[in-house]
Amino acid sequence: MITVDVTLYGDIAHFAGGSHVASQDVNLTEKATVGDLLQKLGISPDDRGYLFINAVLHDAPGLYASKDAALDDGDHIGIFSTTHMWPYQYRDGIHMSDQLQKAMKKHGSMQNVYGRTDKERR
Amino acid sequence: MSRKILRINMSDQSAVYEDIPEKWSKWAGRGLTSAIVLDEVEPTCHPLGPNNKLVIAPGWVSGTPAAPSSGRTSFGGKSPLTGTIKESNSGGLSSKKIAKLGLAAIILEGEPQNGEWYQLVITKDGVEFKDAPDLAGKGMYEVDEILWDQYPNKPAVIGIGPVGEKKLSNAGISVNDPEGKPGRYAGRGGLGAVMGARGVKAIVVDDEGGPGVDIADEDLLKQGRTKLRDAIMEHDLTKPDGGLNTYGTNVLMNIINEAGGLPTRNFSAGQFEGAADISGERVAEMVEKRGGEGMTGHGCHPGCIIQCSNIYPDEEGEAVVSVVEYETAWALGANCGIDDLDYVAEMTYQCNDLGLDTIEAGNTIAIAMEGGQIEFGDKEAALALFDEIREMSPLGRIYGQGVEATAKAFGVHRVPTVKGQSMPAYEPRAIKGIGVTYATSPMGADHTAGYTIAPEIAGVGGKVDPLDEEGKSDLSLTFQAATAFVDSTGYCLFIAFPILDISSGWEGMAESVAGVTGLDITGDDVIDVGKEILRMEREFNKKAGFTAQDDRLPEFMRYEKLPPHNEVWSMSDEELDQVYAWTNGK
Repeated sequence: MITVDVTLYGDIAHFAGGSHVASQDVNLTEKATVGDLLQKLGISPDDRGYLFINAVLHDAPGLYASKDAALDDGDHIGIFSTTHMWPYQYRDGIHMSDQLQKAMKKHGSMQNVYGRTDKERR
Repeated sequence: MSRKILRINMSDQSAVYEDIPEKWSKWAGRGLTSAIVLDEVEPTCHPLGPNNKLVIAPGWVSGTPAAPSSGRTSFGGKSPLTGTIKESNSGGLSSKKIAKLGLAAIILEGEPQNGEWYQLVITKDGVEFKDAPDLAGKGMYEVDEILWDQYPNKPAVIGIGPVGEKKLSNAGISVNDPEGKPGRYAGRGGLGAVMGARGVKAIVVDDEGGPGVDIADEDLLKQGRTKLRDAIMEHDLTKPDGGLNTYGTNVLMNIINEAGGLPTRNFSAGQFEGAADISGERVAEMVEKRGGEGMTGHGCHPGCIIQCSNIYPDEEGEAVVSVVEYETAWALGANCGIDDLDYVAEMTYQCNDLGLDTIEAGNTIAIAMEGGQIEFGDKEAALALFDEIREMSPLGRIYGQGVEATAKAFGVHRVPTVKGQSMPAYEPRAIKGIGVTYATSPMGADHTAGYTIAPEIAGVGGKVDPLDEEGKSDLSLTFQAATAFVDSTGYCLFIAFPILDISSGWEGMAESVAGVTGLDITGDDVIDVGKEILRMEREFNKKAGFTAQDDRLPEFMRYEKLPPHNEVWSMSDEELDQVYAWTNGK
């Protein structure tokens, strides 16, 4: 078994007993992934925005590049609601997982929101 | 009726309305303040001397019917903090009212020979010069209250606090908000000291009976503003109940902290253990718990549809201050090791009252902590520093000069400034892209200098790969040019989020400008127009003695590793110099 430290931000904080921000330790089986963690917390991937593991960005709203990311004992995971914004100019050059970089290459790295293309929005 | 330039000379208390000359006729907002400063201010002049000027300009669309979120006023001059050209803009009541008086800009020049303080009252009938002994020495909350009592029309009040009166380099210019309070600041760069050097404590602007703004093409304006409004209302960041409306700009605190890019304890670490306690999420909790006058989703100027401001309440629900922004909560919180929102709010109130830029003030306190004057995290001692400033003790005057002067006073070498202006709340060792903009902006380290524009919208699609380190120079220039344009419109910079993701919003912004002004501008012209503004600003700086060596991040960032990622700033000087190579014909 491993234990990870999770902080939830925004309306998903209620999954950890808070209203806008809440933290809790979560026990998981060895080799558990982010997908397992979200399932255990009861958070739908659609309600999840930016996601960090140990200060490395693993996911963004509208994408799900972190699903298979493996977790280790003692990891810190920060998970944001889809309400949370992070304009590109304030994240240009931050640490990202390889999987997220690949997803952003495909979907566009500079968008403020993902999941819908510019064409679809119009 | 064409727009006028109102030239106010404080040496002889004269006011002249001039037709806007052809060379300036296309400009408004930042473009106009920078054009006037380049033409009329000697670049090598002393910023506090008689040859500097303060230029005040609303944007292209300010004062037009229902243009959404278009209440920004640009202030320009030579900065006492940086020695560069400076444009700093603010929300509040002034933009719309100046525009409705038919004014393209107000130029404030000269200095009173008698050393007295003046209050200017600008109406459709002209300018009244009033002695202001009753206002001198007072904080901005009292000044705003006195002037709204005197003028029941609820005019705009542009003013300076005691720090501006003493001509200290961290003096901002206050604009009153819809509640008549001084929460809106053209904070950065010390332009409050330039206003103080003109002997002007406050400017009252009453647009009653003013001629309004001429509109060249009503249909085009309507088409443009509809597209822009739709984009704002649709985009996840700016729509009702979106990110900005829910948590304000302070929605970023926890995100930047999780990323390891939150400057902490004077830029010595990238994460702060108390970040959640000073975040937008915590502000929302406080507002819900304490109720009363507290609110999120507050508008900082009439007609704003984004409404990202807040009113922070005390335990009894009474308003302490508006607004606790991300930059403010970071500067006075994380960067000082302080995790108590009540103290952050109280210090923000002190900044608003004294007339200080909150970013520079927070960084200054952090330098005093680094220098051993007080301990990191000591919130009572940090709050008490404002008493020194209010009393104008010798130490308080040093704090009022900002980071570099304070660092010298305390022998601190970890000084997070570019061109004399301290950095905002994004660590360039962790968020490398913004470091390029900090280094090369004509304004010094500024987080609003470069807002994202997707390459395909900017017409540079395919030329830059944002994930490629080598594309950072081109990206930064494009961002800076787009920002210079938006800063000229009168629109709040936060329209950048929807218009840069939604191309119809981008077109709408350009069309609304073309509709008001009659200028032949489409979305394809925005970057080139923005570059014209940057070229003027860089020309001023070059004449003032700035060189490529000034386009650099501070030395310590090249050798001090920033936890948790333990990285240094590694971008080469050659790459930084590429950003503005085009201004040298390269």
